[in-house]
Amino acid sequence: MTEKFDAIVVGGGPAGCASACVMAKSGLNVLLFERGQYAGAKNMWGGAFFGPQLKELFPNFREEAPVERFVTRHTFSFLTKKGSTTLDFKPAFSGPPSDNGFIVMRAKFDKWLAKKVEQAGAIVVTSMLVDDLLLDGGRVTGVRIGKEEFSSDAVILAEGVNGILAQKAGLCSGVSADNMKQGVKEVIALPKQTIEDRFNVNGSEGAAMEFVGSCTRGVPGGGFLYTNKESLSVGIVVELGALVKNRLKASDLLEEFKEYPDVARLIRGGKTVEYSAHLIPTGGLKMMPKLFSAGVLVAGDAAALVLGTGLILEGANFAMASGVAAAETVITAKKKNDFSETALRDYERLLREGFVLRDMHTFKETPRLLKNTRIYDLYPEVVFEVLENILENDGKPRTKAYKIAGKVIKTRVGFARLLSDLWAMRKMT
Amino acid sequence: MEIIVLVKEVLDPDLPPSKFSVDTKNNRVIPPEGIPPVISPYDAVAIEAALRIKEEAGGRITVVSLGNPSAEAVVRKALAMGADAGIVVSDPSFDLEDSYLAAHILTQTIRKIGKYDLILCGRQAVDWDRGVTGPIMAEYLAVPVATLARAIKVSDRSVRVERVLADGHETLEMDLPAIITVSNEFGQARIPSAWGVIKAVKEEIPVWSAKDIGAEDAQNKDNPGEGRLRRLYIPSYERKCEFLTGERPEELAAALVKKIYSRETASP
Amino acid sequence: MKVEEKLALNKYAPATQAHITVNKGLCADCDLRPCVYGCPADCFILKEDHVSFSYEGCLECGSCRIICPKGALQWAYPQGGFGICLQYG
Ligand SMILES: Cc1cc2nc3c(=O)[nH]c(=O)nc-3n(C[C@H](O)[C@H](O)[C@H](O)COP(=O)(O)OP(=O)(O)OC[C@H]3O[C@@H](n4cnc5c(N)ncnc54)[C@H](O)[C@@H]3O)c2cc1C
Ligand code: SF4
Ligand code: SF4
Repeated sequence: MTEKFDAIVVGGGPAGCASACVMAKSGLNVLLFERGQYAGAKNMWGGAFFGPQLKELFPNFREEAPVERFVTRHTFSFLTKKGSTTLDFKPAFSGPPSDNGFIVMRAKFDKWLAKKVEQAGAIVVTSMLVDDLLLDGGRVTGVRIGKEEFSSDAVILAEGVNGILAQKAGLCSGVSADNMKQGVKEVIALPKQTIEDRFNVNGSEGAAMEFVGSCTRGVPGGGFLYTNKESLSVGIVVELGALVKNRLKASDLLEEFKEYPDVARLIRGGKTVEYSAHLIPTGGLKMMPKLFSAGVLVAGDAAALVLGTGLILEGANFAMASGVAAAETVITAKKKNDFSETALRDYERLLREGFVLRDMHTFKETPRLLKNTRIYDLYPEVVFEVLENILENDGKPRTKAYKIAGKVIKTRVGFARLLSDLWAMRKMT
Repeated sequence: MEIIVLVKEVLDPDLPPSKFSVDTKNNRVIPPEGIPPVISPYDAVAIEAALRIKEEAGGRITVVSLGNPSAEAVVRKALAMGADAGIVVSDPSFDLEDSYLAAHILTQTIRKIGKYDLILCGRQAVDWDRGVTGPIMAEYLAVPVATLARAIKVSDRSVRVERVLADGHETLEMDLPAIITVSNEFGQARIPSAWGVIKAVKEEIPVWSAKDIGAEDAQNKDNPGEGRLRRLYIPSYERKCEFLTGERPEELAAALVKKIYSRETASP
Repeated sequence: MKVEEKLALNKYAPATQAHITVNKGLCADCDLRPCVYGCPADCFILKEDHVSFSYEGCLECGSCRIICPKGALQWAYPQGGFGICLQYG
């Protein structure tokens, strides 16, 4: 067969689906390949979409998409061996479900996204692993699956974090374990009512909970817990390089995390129904590959477009936005029938004008700063000790809070170090 | 050569036991949310057989699936493998768990299709493992049937079939038209090519209802005696492991024999 | 709960061919053996004097590919449609 496509998209995650959708809607002849039996079969994450991308692309998603719960409560906890300190963010609101975040499960959600891609007029082919790119004098002209070849004007690589094809195309020279985080997660089934009672949420409301501190045993990263309709997503995210250097296993850390009282009481009685793992590119701008070259564009995790501010992890919205920008670039290129590297430069411009590269620049120092291990071992303990001393009432005369804080900081951290950390962290979040 | 292949959608046999559950009240398997059904693996081998026959003798392959409207997906997969046309037969009035009824409905479907030389199906569907639909249809259509085929060779008006036996195989020759149920020994079903999938995406798959095939009375037909489903449940196995102690092999053997004889379940 | 027990809860479409192969010769002088810690599915197990690998429980995360210091792994995703098949994700 010799049919030629306007664009071939590799990968049916948020980046690939968003780009295929936009291109197909504008009338392009689009083919999307996904290696899973269905879109989402290979994908896991913590839990929530942040920002307006989803709504912009699918105005009716609230009614249609398989959203588990809307984030109405977001907590941040510092865990120590002795106890924990938690910030509980719960904006009072009325009206439509919150825009703070939408908790979804990827196997269901990506399947829905792929359906939208089909409805937009693109062809989605699942169970197909793209093995290679077709090259003609340095220009990408299509893809190869086994012995079959497919040609197209443009290829969008939305293949996710491992970026195998982007590496084969020479857009990226390989990644270091220090720029990668590993996420492991269990889905733990619990009755709907139990979840609502335990998390103090009703109906479609849900909680997103982030944990940093002793749960990662000094490895940069943290724990998370998200409420689904009838299950919880409980996991650990840790920097891969530091993990193996410390001879720790994420699977062990997850088991320990589940035993922290803060977590244990929330998952009590639940039944584990799935276990999964995935990498996250958290090196920021420094690990970003070349975003495009003649006939090819890279979007989403494959382009390392993930923002980890230390508080939350945003990747899916960046993936979607970059997918849309790549699609718009291809649509313009098609009009001029020019897919040269110069013509595709538009992609980077669009990313800069939008939030994707702007945010990545704003937080460009964050990945380095998050490597400061004091965030994970020392500071959670300091916060806890300060509060412990303030709240403790042993009948003796009390000291003023700031004096207690001063004393703990002086003995545990040292003011100079705290100041330098704070000075550095002002750039972080 | 006009070939009809019958395929059934079943729960994915790769499901781990933990994802499998049964509604014991209604004697029903609860399909796991989000995991799509697949072609019964033996039926996939039947499609493979049809494709190889077509490659050798030419012809046309029509795939028929009786089931829920979702069976469209397994028919599309057969088209992606290389079948020429597909039909889904579905009606809310069909009781799909009764093999006689299924055979009746499929026979009506075949009659509506009209011309055929060969009907192929898997040796059995992997959900109930009955393997009777093909032979019952042969009765209804009054054509010869061979079960458990591991090799099929068609010539002008006849077909030669190698059947799998417990201790070897036998070769039969039948006149066409005929029905053959295909066993896994036939070979491995091919994986659809990407171009095959793309072609299949665009194919129209009609859904025939009871009325379309004249099977409205299917439900009122007396069940001609097939066993009815009484109770569906997941058996619980209990494993106990006991270590017998003893110094010498003779001692151990004696203890073991004593143990075996003392158990009610073991009848020596 | 052991990793092995957790993996048994997952659905896999088992491939008959390994998608990752280990060049055991190169493992011989790898003293840190990061794969043993980095693999969340315990596909790399430290035996007395060597690391044994089995691909069946692989979660396809790609960690081993990045952390193996000796380039001992031939790493690819399984053939399309095979391997881990998440129900929830
Ligand atoms: C533990 C964890 C928690 C997270 N939490 C959040 C969160 O709360 N919020 C958030 O916004 N982000 C979160 N993320 C990040 C987010 O999941 C990713 O940034 C996002 O999924 C990236 O989308 P993508 O489309 O680029 O890649 P992916 O979602 O990885 O999609 C890539 C797709 O390509 C397919 N594929 C790969 N190679 C091929 C090939 N050769 N041929 C065919 N198909 C192929 C894959 O099967 C996959 O479906 C989290 C990630 C992890 C691991
Ligand atoms: S890290 Fe690589 S070289 Fe070292 S033991 Fe593991 S596979 Fe072998
Ligand atoms: S890809 Fe991930 S799960 Fe698979 S063997 Fe490598 S580290 Fe283990």
